Amino acid sequence: MIEVKNLTKQYGHHTAIHDLSFTIDAGEIVGFLGPNGAGKTTTMNIMTGFLAATRGDVRINGHDIVSQPEQAKKQIGYLPDTPPVYGDMRVEEYLHFVADIKGVKRAGRKEMLTQIKQQLYIDDVSRRLIKNLSRGYRQRVGLAQAMVGKPRVIIMDEPTIGLDPKQIMEMRGVVKNLGHHHTVILSSHIMQEVSAVCDRVMIINKGRIIAQGTPESLSAGLTKAGGKLQVRLKATATQARDALKEFAVVRHVQVLESREPGTVDLQLAGDEGTDIREVVFRCMAKHNLPLLLMKSMDLSLEEIFLTLTGDIRAAAAGYDAPEGSGVA
Amino acid sequence: MIALYKKELRAYFSQMVGYAFLAFMLFLMGMNFTFINVFTGSGRFANTLVAAAGSFMFFILVPILTMRLFSEEIRHKTDQLLYTSPLSVTQIVLGKFLAAFSLFLLGVGITVLFPVLITRYAVEGLATNQIVGAYIGFILIGLCCIAVGMFISVLTDNQIIAAVSTFAAVYVMFLMDSIAMTMPVSAGASLVFVALVIVAVAGLWYYATRHWLSSAVLGALGVAVAVGLYFYDNLIYDAVILRVLLWFSLYTRFQVLSAGILNLADLVYYLSFAGLFVYLTVNVIEKRRWR
Repeated sequence: MIEVKNLTKQYGHHTAIHDLSFTIDAGEIVGFLGPNGAGKTTTMNIMTGFLAATRGDVRINGHDIVSQPEQAKKQIGYLPDTPPVYGDMRVEEYLHFVADIKGVKRAGRKEMLTQIKQQLYIDDVSRRLIKNLSRGYRQRVGLAQAMVGKPRVIIMDEPTIGLDPKQIMEMRGVVKNLGHHHTVILSSHIMQEVSAVCDRVMIINKGRIIAQGTPESLSAGLTKAGGKLQVRLKATATQARDALKEFAVVRHVQVLESREPGTVDLQLAGDEGTDIREVVFRCMAKHNLPLLLMKSMDLSLEEIFLTLTGDIRAAAAGYDAPEGSGVA
Repeated sequence: MIALYKKELRAYFSQMVGYAFLAFMLFLMGMNFTFINVFTGSGRFANTLVAAAGSFMFFILVPILTMRLFSEEIRHKTDQLLYTSPLSVTQIVLGKFLAAFSLFLLGVGITVLFPVLITRYAVEGLATNQIVGAYIGFILIGLCCIAVGMFISVLTDNQIIAAVSTFAAVYVMFLMDSIAMTMPVSAGASLVFVALVIVAVAGLWYYATRHWLSSAVLGALGVAVAVGLYFYDNLIYDAVILRVLLWFSLYTRFQVLSAGILNLADLVYYLSFAGLFVYLTVNVIEKRRWR
């Protein structure tokens, strides 16, 4: 569906993207993940034909974006980081204008627009001026614009930036739905976002792809080295240590900060590739120490990200981002 | 292209700009009309058009028309929508250009009422040929100025800068006659002028290609030929500066037209002048993608 080959973009002496190559199949939802300035927006701008690459090709459904721009651009709907809406137009008028410049046939256009508006919950504002809409509505009108003409590919640059938590949840739902009919590419610097909606994640840093795969495989691949377990016991630290001493499989015990009065939190690690969960359960049962919580301490995407981008110190310090926050 | 044309026209009237333009144009034209035709009972409306063009008409009106064309899109990042749509850059530029020109034509169309109004009262009757010629010239000058204004508007995302620069550019084009007259006419001065132009061209060549050898050869060869010509026959250099600058003067040809003399060379001149700036606009946009 989308083929990107050896893409390089230089701004003067600064290289924004280095030799980027990837393919995206029809129906995939792919997320570009990376810090600000990693080259995500530049890549998207080149894929949509807004910018030209210094070297390399982009083919959309077999059409080269530079030599066959009209055919290639017809396959793409693009929502840039700022929704490209005209403040002095009404929503309805704006969507008709977009349909006109995209060359959408008049027959069936009304139905298509109505359907898009219902899908994005903007049918109640279709008579309002866009400049009077809230940020969330404007973002959705921008997305509606990208969906006009039912393009095969929808590309979204940071679609949830600046939205409130409720709008973010709605936007994620919309993106998941889009995946049923379109190939979707979105960028984000927020880990939860891409892991929540994407089939595949490409982590981009300094203009290069440094890792890609499903969110799970990325997480698993990087945590194989030391699968850690966090447990919470209704006991003291000494009791817990003594109990675990008998079980040699548990190699490593570290006492963490207590989060609940009368309990202790431990971080446990076994040998590589061994599952110590059952052993821990039997051990605690034998010593009659109530086990209140047990969870595997896989690296979160944040930690993976920091590890990969070389900020290992932050990752090693157990960087623990609150839900919904991002790493800039 | 038609969709964009319609959108631009609608934008003029949803933002007051269109009304401001029309009001201002009719006000200026009405003032000239009152003083030149009504008070004297003269049917020479061509004089009114020439006077209007020579006064503030184009310097002020054209920036109003063109300042927002591209600057506004760049500022609000809506240019991304246009350039990622299946429209070609030429279609986008022409759509906007024609919209601005249409609004201008609408204003000019309304002013046709003025000469019609005085038909019965003009002492010597209407000088129809001159009026038609003057209108053709007036419209063609508008075409050229709008093309220049559009070109300036694509260079900046700031509407105020676009407006002020357009004002300055159009003003200089109208002053070109007076500027030309102050230039030295001697062959020596002309040689220096020609040499400077050649060096500038070589500089532009370097800017476009980043190839210093070919630029240097181009510059040196050009200057050598110019100097050679000077010693061969320095009559060629007679008042070169004057002739070149006058060639850029939109106003001189307008005076010929308003005498009722329709000259194919003048028409071609105006159309190619406008065409050049439309072409440059398309080029700047295409170039920007490769930046």
